[in-house]
Amino acid sequence: MSETVQESGQDAQVPADGSDESVTETDAALVKEGDIAGDYLEKLLDLLDYDGDIDLDVEAGRAIVSIDGGDDLEKLVGRSGEVLEALQELTRLAVQQETGERSRLMLDIAGWRASRRDELSKLGRTTARSVLETGEETRLRPMSPFERKIVHDAVAEVDGVHSESEGEPPNRKVVVYRVE
Amino acid sequence: MTVLTDALEHLVRGIVDNPDEVRVQSISTRRGRTLEVHVNPDDLGKVIGRSGRTATALRTVISGVGGRGIRVDVIDTDR
Repeated sequence: MSETVQESGQDAQVPADGSDESVTETDAALVKEGDIAGDYLEKLLDLLDYDGDIDLDVEAGRAIVSIDGGDDLEKLVGRSGEVLEALQELTRLAVQQETGERSRLMLDIAGWRASRRDELSKLGRTTARSVLETGEETRLRPMSPFERKIVHDAVAEVDGVHSESEGEPPNRKVVVYRVE
Repeated sequence: MTVLTDALEHLVRGIVDNPDEVRVQSISTRRGRTLEVHVNPDDLGKVIGRSGRTATALRTVISGVGGRGIRVDVIDTDR
């Protein structure tokens, strides 16, 4: 199975029967996830004396927590987003500690993911087009699951090419092939 | 500076079964500062995580906030 499918995030978020009641229950659970995460992060910002507004949302079956504010927040992102990933991991664990359920919540800080998303989509499209033209398979640099998912999605929009991930984290890379 | 100690204590408290037993001690050595994390022995697995993943995440956040010179050690002892 290609990783595109595994990482697409479409799994088991909306109940198969699509009944409104179940959807509402799922949403309520996600709102609760956001609340717990918001408390955990707000207290962290307080202790560090960082300025930041926390925004909670539910989108495509997951809780989204966004923090925006002062320049200090860049320290919580890190040079290549590594601090953001670490903090997201800890926040998921804090949610799981209270709910007893694994959390898939997404944390964004200072719009980092949003801007990475644009860059990586562009990279995916450009790579797809050049592979289509030359027929040479292309390996991209190692990326996090979040980054690979965006690249896979962008490649999928171009006809005649196909992408997979290979290698073990943290060296897992997207490879783009031409479909012959 | 107790900011980092408090922040680390908060991060750990949120992910364990016994938050009241979490203690972080700041120790200065010649090679820099070490933050020692003490938890209930039953919570050690949670703080370390599978293949040390959680401990690594704690270190990454503390380095991001306080700079690379700071060590985070999860203390593995039965008190």
